[in-house]
Amino acid sequence: MELRLNSIRLIEHDQAEEFTFGEIEKMEENMAIAFINPEDFEEMYLTKSLKLHLFNEHGEVVVRFEQDEKIPKGTIAMPVSIWSNQLTSTKNGKLLNKNIPVNCEASRDPPTKLTELIKKIKKGGET
Amino acid sequence: MKFKKIVCTGCSLLCDDIIIEENDNGRIEQIIGACVRGKERFKSIKSQNRILTPLIRENDDLKEAAWDEALKKTLQMIEDSSNPILYGFSTTSCEAQAEGIRLARAIDGFIDSNSTICQGITLEKSKETGVTMTTLTEIINKGDIILLWGFNPIESIPRLLNKILFSRGKFRMTGREIKTLIVIDPVETASYKIMGPRDIPLLIKPASDLELIQALKKICKEEMEIPSEGIAGIDKMDLERLVANLVDSENISILIGQGMLQPSDDGDPLKELLELIEILNTVNEKGRVSIIMGGGHFNMTGFDQTALSLTGKNHSLQFKDSTLIDTEDNIITKIEKNDFDLSIIVGTDPISHLPLEISKKLVTKPMILIDNKKNSTYYVADVVLPTAITGVETDGTAFRIDEVPIKLTKLYDPPNDLPSDEELLIKINNKIKEE
Repeated sequence: MELRLNSIRLIEHDQAEEFTFGEIEKMEENMAIAFINPEDFEEMYLTKSLKLHLFNEHGEVVVRFEQDEKIPKGTIAMPVSIWSNQLTSTKNGKLLNKNIPVNCEASRDPPTKLTELIKKIKKGGET
Repeated sequence: MKFKKIVCTGCSLLCDDIIIEENDNGRIEQIIGACVRGKERFKSIKSQNRILTPLIRENDDLKEAAWDEALKKTLQMIEDSSNPILYGFSTTSCEAQAEGIRLARAIDGFIDSNSTICQGITLEKSKETGVTMTTLTEIINKGDIILLWGFNPIESIPRLLNKILFSRGKFRMTGREIKTLIVIDPVETASYKIMGPRDIPLLIKPASDLELIQALKKICKEEMEIPSEGIAGIDKMDLERLVANLVDSENISILIGQGMLQPSDDGDPLKELLELIEILNTVNEKGRVSIIMGGGHFNMTGFDQTALSLTGKNHSLQFKDSTLIDTEDNIITKIEKNDFDLSIIVGTDPISHLPLEISKKLVTKPMILIDNKKNSTYYVADVVLPTAITGVETDGTAFRIDEVPIKLTKLYDPPNDLPSDEELLIKINNKIKEE
């Protein structure tokens, strides 16, 4: 299913002060998350035990999710983080982090770890 | 027990009404008046993510190093570079920002702050259109309409609305009762929760800000009627109320958020919004419309001010032969084009907040990180130089969200005699001068 990703500020999942959570595990718990509309949840036949695999031309990531009726149908929201930025891009020297097409499917994989993302960034840099 | 009144550097609001209560051992007993973000800022003093010693990467691991060794390595990396970039500076003092600019000049580098990819965009656009800006004090004392466009301060600058919406002012004695809050956002954000009967919540269809702004420009110039079906998912009656408030109120403040900074194929929503403000200021005979840029980092606007005062340009400064030269680049295009051979990152986390493709390019070149805590960038940096927490362990100057300078207060000595960002950059600048 294709949804439009918006990366947003959420005080309980906030990285504005970057990495203030103190522990990597706590950061992963707070930041590797997406919020979807309950109708999209139904359409994707999701259950609470599943995770979301989000991918597009820029990258991919697995995150846990919560239903939130305030998120418009057809969109998905993620806190601004290294996880959301696997899917964002740039345009004319500006960040493009709203209304980004992402493919979204259910996954039984665990959320992507910070160390995996760092490894991917380093590896990508070498090639 | 003793009490200290301090300025909070949790966000760009720089609240100056925070009271710290200390016990007899000098430890924080309670923080009075701070929001969640402010409290986190003070807690970060003791965070287990604190960086307390310099580190140098050997193979894939960061190893603790003595200051002399880490500084020697830093200077060597700078000497080996002919095209360095310096980036960050939005969570440090203006004094440190000034030293960063001096360093960029001394090493013929390119320096930019987070502002360039955040609210600096608004500032940049306003050079083309002109813009009226306002201050928090003006909104408190005179504000009638507070319009949040793509901006959710409840989550990003939590006490902002407490101060400007709920407060009583010199000319608005009843405060909240006569101030109207308008929110334009595709998401029913937390800011909607404080709306009352006179307020106007406008749930716009996602990515249709441009459509609404273009229509409002025509409607306000009386070149177009509001269509019966509404515009951009907003119904006709709500739009009529919006327009009536915009053209017939004394003091209107538009607070612009990240939602308005997105590039679009169809046009430039931000530029059109500034043009709409210009139109409103022509048709509104009672008063005026002004803006505040909703940047979150506590001294993001400070970099623009510091750079402007030192160089005459507010961001994206490229030096050659110690002279500022013209450039069309910003930090994103410099990295995209691989137009750098060293990065010096100060108080920010580009690996977290920039897109994957940019991060991948950034890590291909040596990196020096100056910061007080571990972050994603810490895991890819080659040299890490720890510093004191600005506004808690060192004083200085910062510019508030409304471009008003605020003096920061030092509360505690930093652990391990860590230098401030300013002191460290002065030391690096002096060593470069000596050599």
